[in-house]
Formats: sequence, structure tokens, C-alpha cells
Amino acid sequence: MIRSHPQSNRQLRAGDACSARLLLVPLLFAAFLSFSPSALAQQTARAKELGGKLLCVCGCSQILTACNHVGCPYSHAMLKELDERVARGESDSLILQSFVQEYGPTVLAEPPARGFDWIAWIMPIIAPLIALFVVWQVVRRWRARAIPAVAGGAPGVSPELLSRARNAIDKDLDA
Amino acid sequence: MDVLGAFALLLAFLAAVYAFVAGIAGIVTKRPLLTRSARNAGMAVFFLVLVAVGTLEFLFFTDNFSLAYVAEHSNRALPGFYKFAALWSGQEGSLLWWSFLLSTYVFFVLFLNRKKHPELMPWVGVITAGVQIFFLTLNNFVSNPFHILGSMNAAGVMHVAAVADGRGLNPLLQYYEMVIHPPMLYLGYTGFTIPFAFALAALLGRYPGEKWIHITRRWTMIAWCFQSVGILLGAHWAYAVLGWGGYWAWDPVENASLLPWITGTAFLHSVMMQEKRGMMKVWNVWLVFVTFMLCILGTFLTRSGVISSVHAFAQSSIGNWFLVFLGIILAVCIFAYSKNRDYLRSDNQLDSLVSRESSFLFNNLVLLAACFAVLWGTLFPVISEWFTGNKISVGPPFFNKVNVPIALFLLLLTGVGPLLAWRKTSTDALRRNFALPLAGGILAGIVAAVFGFRDFYSLICLILGVFVTLTIGSEFYRGARVIASRDGTNLLTAVGELTMRNTRRYGGYIIHFGMVLVFIGIAGQPFKQDIQKEMSIGDRINIGPYSILCQNFDQVSNGNYQADRATLEVFEDGKSVMMLYPEHRLYLASQVTETMVAIESAPLRDLYVVFAGKSPETGRPVIHAYLNPLVKFIWFGGIVVVLGTALALMPNKRLALALRAVEQPTWQGQEVARAISPVSTKASRDD
Repeated sequence: MIRSHPQSNRQLRAGDACSARLLLVPLLFAAFLSFSPSALAQQTARAKELGGKLLCVCGCSQILTACNHVGCPYSHAMLKELDERVARGESDSLILQSFVQEYGPTVLAEPPARGFDWIAWIMPIIAPLIALFVVWQVVRRWRARAIPAVAGGAPGVSPELLSRARNAIDKDLDA
Repeated sequence: MDVLGAFALLLAFLAAVYAFVAGIAGIVTKRPLLTRSARNAGMAVFFLVLVAVGTLEFLFFTDNFSLAYVAEHSNRALPGFYKFAALWSGQEGSLLWWSFLLSTYVFFVLFLNRKKHPELMPWVGVITAGVQIFFLTLNNFVSNPFHILGSMNAAGVMHVAAVADGRGLNPLLQYYEMVIHPPMLYLGYTGFTIPFAFALAALLGRYPGEKWIHITRRWTMIAWCFQSVGILLGAHWAYAVLGWGGYWAWDPVENASLLPWITGTAFLHSVMMQEKRGMMKVWNVWLVFVTFMLCILGTFLTRSGVISSVHAFAQSSIGNWFLVFLGIILAVCIFAYSKNRDYLRSDNQLDSLVSRESSFLFNNLVLLAACFAVLWGTLFPVISEWFTGNKISVGPPFFNKVNVPIALFLLLLTGVGPLLAWRKTSTDALRRNFALPLAGGILAGIVAAVFGFRDFYSLICLILGVFVTLTIGSEFYRGARVIASRDGTNLLTAVGELTMRNTRRYGGYIIHFGMVLVFIGIAGQPFKQDIQKEMSIGDRINIGPYSILCQNFDQVSNGNYQADRATLEVFEDGKSVMMLYPEHRLYLASQVTETMVAIESAPLRDLYVVFAGKSPETGRPVIHAYLNPLVKFIWFGGIVVVLGTALALMPNKRLALALRAVEQPTWQGQEVARAISPVSTKASRDD
């Protein structure tokens, strides 16, 4: 099954709706606005944005708007439904919720930030912070150990010799 | 022939077992003869697996459909090079291929070091033999590619039955990159066995000094380079074959290949801390361990069916074997570490937070954060299902939100790191080194924003990309200027001289530049455009500066497939600039349909056209066109990364001279040898 272009569907709907409202003069202007190219572009962008929050349920693991598998039994119908809901002016949350009801929670491309699944979002922040804290502690320990060693000085090594040795090492390292 | 292959595979298993047991006996009894015998058995595994691989290839090329694996993955009409690649297209063959590549690495490691490191190499031989035993066990007893098609009669006599033609190779794999992508990726995965073996060997044998680091750095770079190439070829394959206009979908199998690459990258950076300052020894050892374990984990994810993926092999019980192997590796690593952790004490401490050392620390931290985020996102559907009983998805939006900021921070560190000195950097030096690159980056950002490049992350990426490029440029310029003024040469010659004097450092900078190009390529993603339309002959679609005219639809066929083909003429500014021929193919043996994308690649954008099939409502052909900006930067960046790695693997010019001097002890040679300190010569040679 091949995905048809969302825009062509919308143009058909635009034609139907226009003829139904022709007699209502006050609404004509509003109807004109709603089917003007700019409004159409906004709708397309919104449908695309929402499509980016959904996964195709064919098992390809791709977002709905990217699923291009030949013969995909789902993406065509899902895009059509998405398009219709956007055209009806339903809110984002209502559209996403209705897809979840119809296809299950796996249709959402990312885990919801609530309940247990909230951990999915929080862990990639917490884990590096814990790692940063551990590194910070290690560095503090290193530095605490380094300071007495330097203060005590190595027996029989003059500061000049130490400085010369450090310069030689630096030169060697920079080579 | 199938008997020969199966027999060679069994002998390889026995040879690996012998190498393992005799190796341990040699270490315990300290008898060199046993150790040498174990090493020879380890090398013999390579030749035996080679016979098995050669046999299977022969069976593919001779269309021997009495073998189940050949019947499942090939057919008579399949072109020769796909018959060659069909070897690794299924579970059994890919595991054999894994064993082959692993045995190749092991052979070269054992052969090249046969007269070196007598205390270390027996341990290395034992560990590599242990890993080989695992894979050869799978090859022989769990997933054997030499099973024949047949049935047993009432008397218990086996009758071989061959099918007339095979089921053919999966159409998705019938693309020329598939002939090189899996070998590259597997060379990466298997290659990380070598640094793992050396690290574990050094720890178990309490091998003194940083020698194992010097030995394994090259092997790690080789494995890392293959992994990089494998990942990029996989991305290019997805781009050119799957027909969705993208190259990376954060699929679990893609993620599995990325994980060891990230930790391998972290190791290649932190290893410098150990070489130069004797620091981060524990960290390095565990980075190598984790990298190898991630290779095995990735293989587990790909083959177990735990996580669904379009790239995964068929679900099987083989995953349990990998899980057990992973548990054994972890147990051995923990045992070795807890027994000998005093051997890993740091020689030096961190002198300042504004230093090269601290930048490496942060670099490692950020890389590990990225690795964790990818692993977490990949495994979270399973974790969530365990705890809540509900299935959820973690798709590209999650990975992009979490990883893009991390990646950008990493890009920043790529620019900052090289500008910091070892031990401590003064404020003056900071100001001096950072002013120009930072100003250049900001200026580039302003110019890009003015010209409409206004996506937030893309803009930051561009600014950082220019910043890093300028820092790399300034490093080359400063060094070359000194050489040019001292030797009286021109700047370009001096750049060459500078690079060849420290190939590792400047090769590393070139790799960084390659990564900048890859990042810039990815930054173009938000500006992608696409349009899909049912077309008839004479129809046009417009996208970006292009107008695509449909000239014809026809059919082409060969013995392998039948295809609907569109003939499209592309116009730019009213002028005809190219013809494109996207196809929609039906593969006859498997009866599977696939698209063959037509791509016209320019330096700044790709025109990517898909023949998506025919509309079920109208029967008219559907053409989907994409305009993908900057994608070519990704592939070009990959080439630069490979070139940089090749350069970093070359010996320094100074070392080459020194070695020549040692080999030819003339008067001049002795002078050259004296001019180089013994310490640096030794260290460089070990590199």
C-alpha cells in the first residue's frame, strides 16, 4: 500500500467544505482564510510535527512521517487519520491520545514523562551528574595527595633540578 | 565439500581448546615448549577457519542447494559478488565470519609478537583462545552453517535432498555496500578483542609499566577505524537503500554498533593520560573491558530478539549463550581487577583543573554519558516492560533530545582540549589560544544566521565546528611556522614535516576535523525538504531549486528482479541538469519488493528521489523527492577520519631515521641516534 500525499487529501476536503459554505456570506471570508496557502502550510507543518511524535506500528521503528516501506500496511492509514484529525482542528494532546487508544502506547515515539517512564528522561541527566560527582571526588583526592608530596619535597632534589627535569619532560611531551 | 568445511570447523574448535589449555599449563609450569605449542595451535585456528569459510564460499558459488544455509540465502540468478556476501547474511554464516575475522586478528597478533614480550604473550594467547572457543562452540554446536537438507528413512539412513533453486538473498542486502559494510563492522567488533586480551593479560600477569598500552594502541586504532567505517557504511546503506531519506534511525542494532565505538573513542583519548602521566590506569583497563563487553552485548541484542529491529537476525535461543559468555567475561574482569588492583595505582596526580589532563577527564565523562544515554534508551523498552508490564517505544525523538546536547558539548571539548597544556595552562595562554578560534566561530554563526541557517542546535553545531577547525588550523600553523623559520622552508612543506614528525598527534587532529565534517553534515538535517506526488508522464514536482519532470515509466528486468522504472529529468534554473532513474523492484526468488533510490549528490545538497510504487487508489506511480542538505559532509568526514587514522598509525619520521641509524651503524647514523634521547626513541618505537 502506498502512502498518498497528505496535501492532496486536504485539497479534496477543502473543495467539499467550500461548496457547503458558499451560501454563508459571513463565513466566506473565514473559509477563504482557512483554505489559503498559508493556512494549508501551517496545517502541513503541524501534521508533520505530530507525525514526528508517532512511530509507524509496522515494526520498522521509524517515525510515522519517515516510514517509507513499500507495502507498509499501517503508515498510509495512520497518516490519513492524522491528517483528518489535524484538519478537524483537534488539539495535539487529543490527537496523540486517540492514537495511543487505537494503536497502544508503543505508537508514541518517546516515553511519556510521567509515572515509571519518567525515569527514561531523568536517568540520562542523573547518571552523568553522579559520574561528575565521582570524578570530582577522585580529583579532590588526587590533589589532596599531591599537595603534601610537593610540600615535603623529594629528599636530595633541589628546586632547580626539579624545575629542569619538569622542563625536559614538558619538551619531551610536546614533541 | 560440506564435510570438509564442517571437519575444519571442528578441528579449529579443538585447536582453540588446546591453545587455551596448553597456554594455561605453559604459564603455570613455566615450560616454554608448551607455551610455544599453544601459540602455534592459536595460529592454526586461523587456517582451519579459513578452510571452513573457503568451503562455504565454494558451496555458494557452485549453487549447492543441498546445504540449508546456501538454499536459504542464495539463488542461481544472484550476481557473483552477492553470492560472496551471502556468507554473512544469515545467523550461522555471520557467526562463522566473526570467527574468521577474530582468528585473523589472533593470528597476526601471535605471529607478529612471537619473539616479543615473553611474559605477556602467553596470557594474551590464552585469553584470545578463550574468546575463540566461545565463537567456535556456536559455529560447531549451536549455529552450524554446514547443515545439509535431507531426511532420515526408517532404517536411519540419511538421504540428502537438494532444492532446485534457493530462496535468494534478502533484497535489502543486495546493494554493493553490503559486500563491505558487515566485514568492516565485524572487523571493528572482533578487533576490540585484542586490546581486551592485552589489558586482561597485563592485569592477570601483573605485567610492569605501560607496555600493554603501547602495544594495544595501534590495534585499538585499527579496530576503532574499522568500526567507524562500518558504522558510516551502514548509515550510507540505510540512506541509499531504505528509501526514507535519512541515514540514522537510532535503531537498536545501529545503537549496538555505536556503543563500543564510543567507549573505544574514550579509551583512545584516556590512554594518553596513562602514557604521558601514568594516570587513569584503572579507568583505562575498565574502558577496554567495557568496550569488549559492549561488543558482546551488541551481538546479544542483535541476535537474541530481546529488542525488535529491522536489522536484527531472526529470533533464536542463541542470545542465552551470549548472556552466559557476557557473565563469564564480567566475572573474570572483576576477579582480575580485585586480585591485582594495587598494580594499577596512578604514578602522578592532577596538577590543575585547567589542563590537558582535565580535558581528557571531561572528554571521557561526556563520552561515557553519551554511551549510557544510548544504552539506556535502547534497553528502556525492556526495562519498562519488566517493571510495568506495558510495552513502550523509545524512538528517534528521545535519542535526539538526549544526545544532541551531549554531542555538542563533546564537539566543544574537541576544540578546547588541544589548546590546553599538559599539567597546567596559564590564563594568558588560554586567552591567546582561544581568542581567534572563538571569534571565528561566532562570526561564522552570525553569517550563517543571516543566510537563514537558524535552527538552534544546527547553529551551535556550526559555531563549534568552525571553532574546532580553527583550533586545529592554529595548531598546525604554529608548529609549521617554527619549522619554516628554522629550516627556511615554505609553510606548506613545514606542515608536512610537522605532521610526519608526530603522526599520532597530527593524525589525531585530522580525525577531529573529519568528525567536525560529520557533525556539520548532521547539522543540515533540520533543513531537509520533501514532497510526495502521484505523477503521470509530463507532470512536474518542484523542490528547492529543482524542478523534476516525469519523462517516462517503463519496466526493466533480469534473472534476479523485475523493476518499474521512472525516467525523470531534473531542471535547475530552467536548464536540464541531470536524468534520474529510481526503481521499484520485485525480487523474483524471495517475492519481496524494494525501492532503488536515485541520488544526485552535490557538495551542499543531495537530491534524493524514490519511486515509492503505485497508488492503490489511482494506480498512478508515486514519486517521493527529498532535498537533503550537507549530507555529503558526513561521508566526506568519514573519509577524512580514515585518512587521519592511517596517518596516526604511521611511525614518526624521527623514529624512522633513528631505526635506520640503529640498523646501519655508520658515523652519521650514530650521530642521529645520539641526537634522540633513548627514552623518547623507546617510547616512540613502542607506539
